[in-house]
Amino acid sequence: MRVALFVTCLADLMRPGVAFAAIRLLEHGGCTVEVPQTQTCCGQPAYNSGDRATAIALARKVLVEFEGFDYVVAPSGSCGGMIRAHYPELFRDDPATLKRIEALAARTWELTDFLANVLKLDSVPGDFKGTVTYHDSCSGLRELGVKAQPRALLAKLPGLKLTEMNEAETCCGFGGTFSLKFGEVSTQLADNKCGHACATGADAIVGGDLGCLLNIEGRLRRRGDLKTKVLHVAEILAGDERLKS
Amino acid sequence: MTARENILNRVRSALGRKVSPQDTASIDARIAAHPLGMQPPRDWEPELRFRARAEALASTVEKVSSLQSVPGAVARYLVTHDLPTGGICWPSLRKLDWIGAGLGMEDRPARGDDFVGVTGCYCAIAETGTLMLLSGPDTPAAASLLPETHIAIVETARIVPFMEDAWALLRAERGRLPRAVNFVSGPSRTADIEQTVTMGAHGPYRVHIILVG
Amino acid sequence: MELRSNEFKTRAAANLGDEKLQRGLGLIKVKAVVNRANAVAEFGDFETLREVGKAIRDRALADLDLYLERFEREAVARGAVVHWAENASEACRIVVDIARENGVRTVAKAKSMVSEEVGLNDALIEAGIEPIETDLGEYILQINDAEPPSHIVMPVIHKTAEDVADLFHAKHGTPRKTDPAALTREAREILRPKFLSADMGVSGANFLIAETGSTLIVTNEGNGRLCTTLPRLHVAITGIEKVVATLEDASTLLRLLPRSATGQAITNYVSLHTGPKRLEESDGPQQFHIVLVDNGRSKLLAGEMREMLRCIRCGACMNHCPVYQAVGGHAYGWVYPGPMGNILTPSYVGLENAIALPNAATMCNQCGVVCPVKIPLPDLMRKLREEQMERGLKPWPERLGLALWGWAAQQPALYALGTRIAVRFMKWLGGREKLIHRLPLASGWSDGRDFPAPEGQTFRELYKERRQ
Repeated sequence: MRVALFVTCLADLMRPGVAFAAIRLLEHGGCTVEVPQTQTCCGQPAYNSGDRATAIALARKVLVEFEGFDYVVAPSGSCGGMIRAHYPELFRDDPATLKRIEALAARTWELTDFLANVLKLDSVPGDFKGTVTYHDSCSGLRELGVKAQPRALLAKLPGLKLTEMNEAETCCGFGGTFSLKFGEVSTQLADNKCGHACATGADAIVGGDLGCLLNIEGRLRRRGDLKTKVLHVAEILAGDERLKS
Repeated sequence: MTARENILNRVRSALGRKVSPQDTASIDARIAAHPLGMQPPRDWEPELRFRARAEALASTVEKVSSLQSVPGAVARYLVTHDLPTGGICWPSLRKLDWIGAGLGMEDRPARGDDFVGVTGCYCAIAETGTLMLLSGPDTPAAASLLPETHIAIVETARIVPFMEDAWALLRAERGRLPRAVNFVSGPSRTADIEQTVTMGAHGPYRVHIILVG
Repeated sequence: MELRSNEFKTRAAANLGDEKLQRGLGLIKVKAVVNRANAVAEFGDFETLREVGKAIRDRALADLDLYLERFEREAVARGAVVHWAENASEACRIVVDIARENGVRTVAKAKSMVSEEVGLNDALIEAGIEPIETDLGEYILQINDAEPPSHIVMPVIHKTAEDVADLFHAKHGTPRKTDPAALTREAREILRPKFLSADMGVSGANFLIAETGSTLIVTNEGNGRLCTTLPRLHVAITGIEKVVATLEDASTLLRLLPRSATGQAITNYVSLHTGPKRLEESDGPQQFHIVLVDNGRSKLLAGEMREMLRCIRCGACMNHCPVYQAVGGHAYGWVYPGPMGNILTPSYVGLENAIALPNAATMCNQCGVVCPVKIPLPDLMRKLREEQMERGLKPWPERLGLALWGWAAQQPALYALGTRIAVRFMKWLGGREKLIHRLPLASGWSDGRDFPAPEGQTFRELYKERRQ
């Protein structure tokens, strides 16, 4: 099974370990993982900013880079949702491309969804010990139905205890450029999220999207909490070395 | 051009037509057929459901065997709750023996300071515990609205499962709608201040339902 | 209503620190949201109900001209007078003319967002006619110097019982009381004589029934019934999009509306009005006028915002919106707050007069999943953002930034080089703490948050190294 990893621009820049963890998990499930080297971004920032032309250009680029594989997997509900739920709309007036885009969309998965529902992993390599709480990212949750999948995978780690926070499904306030344009409101929503997460007393806040995680960690640190870890679910499941340092 | 024509023209052009078709068969057929939309599953017995829902909406419910027993039941309710024993009733109920039950019920239009209003109802809806009242010369709308206490008489045979059944009944029995159809589901309430539910906003503080059957 | 939507950013930020407002807004999550969730669960297959509701509204809009003509024919046949208003000022003129012709001095008003939209109260006052708001929330706002509502269903959600206590004490000259039940009783006693003496009642209409020419309103307080029963004239003012085909269609929508709005299976009162008082009746208005208002709706029907016309005004989108929950309704600066306002305000008052609103959302789609008629609110906001881009309404730094980034993202070699430099620079900025406290050009982020620093090398670089 040839799987292309959609690295995501945030993992590429900010947390390469997340992409390596995703590779390890996919290989653990028996996939041959390839990483198209010319990939950059799915185009969602342009799409949500109203720059449709750029979004279409980037979608075409992704199509060319990724359409030859059995599956495309992204460690992000946001990028996965962009390809699966929004790409087809971009090509509604271009039937030839639309057909190819729909085929790509149908083969594109968010990482935990893929691990749980396609690979049906019965074990994961990680060995995290401690309590975590899980933040449901909006795109993964409401565009792709990612809710039970990460929890089912985390439950395979015997040393891990999941404690649910209040309002786990409420937006953390990131929203891409929203976090810059409406900084005060965005910060308030991040603060609400930190409050709910910290109230669980968990050792780590875990999620499936780096955008949310950077937002939550940024607010957490500014609140003075330097202890609670903020981790991508792939890092925990794969047993990332960053955890052990 | 009048506003009416301008608006309709804009609507038509938005829908991609120049004039409204003379042949309105498509919508006429739908209106004539008035198909059901969606109802919740009917896994209950209407009278029991009506009673449970009405009580959940803060109405009180009792049952008597015949219309003749109603004045006595009204009197008991009012006395038990320390309420005035006089008020108004629908003209359609003037023949009941109110005096015999010790009540002063006048069959005149309601005033702003009446304490008790006794009405019947056209039918009642089990799904939501709702009374359906039609306005008319013998069934004025204000009687269920102005008094602080509304007492409604419901014949159990007139409890229908859904609102759609009430429309069917109305079409069959009357053919057309009266000036006002009022669906009443419990005492008047508001939650405007701090989302705290408070009874008796502008209408009755209490609704007492007497089932007859 | 005064338009202040272009002040969204500053007013939103200010509201975050308003403790009393925050207390009121906090109640939405524990009451409105929870009540809706319970009511939806109790119903069972609410998802199918939403589909059916959407189809009912779509069908009405697809033949809107025919349904409006049928509605008018039926209403007139029952003795109602139907008026058509192209815009806000025409709507006001129609109502003022009706009032003047009939020597009306006072008007008892039930809650109507369309009357807020067209500014009816100001028009009546200018004509020397006194409007009296009778919905408890709207009444509180009116006696507080005609403050605008901050929610379409719960207009005084921004006020505490203490606020209302102070206001009633000051305006009514009665002893101060804070219990909501006692405050409600006080308002009832003050408003009851006003209902009884009002010459005209004004209501909105939640639905117009084409089959019977009836207007339908839902209320809990009973003020809507009083306004439409006691005064000698009744004027119902509503938007042209509110028409539905049949009583059955309305019945289905009534299963969606109160559940979505307040978590009720049905509102206390659902009232249908068909024509004026009949000859032998002892109550009811002698004249029944219906004012059908366009005010931008037919334009929406023609464009990409058409789905917005399905809206049945339940307020669930704002109750569930994290941004609304944080900033409240006044920040949105017009009649309709929250996600629905992010679309309706720019659509009705002009995109340039509400620049921030289509962007004032994280696109979390919480609104979209609760909307009883499945309006894809984030998609519509995105389309407005596209229109802003096309019309050059976005600020130039944003356009420049997007253009540069968009161009670079299409040049993989250049992008790889640029990101290599950027992550090194940002790692250096983060220092030993690995936290960036001030982000150049992005104070919106770093005023309230640190930025976790990158690790110093991109995945692309590391992957190449490891493969070799």
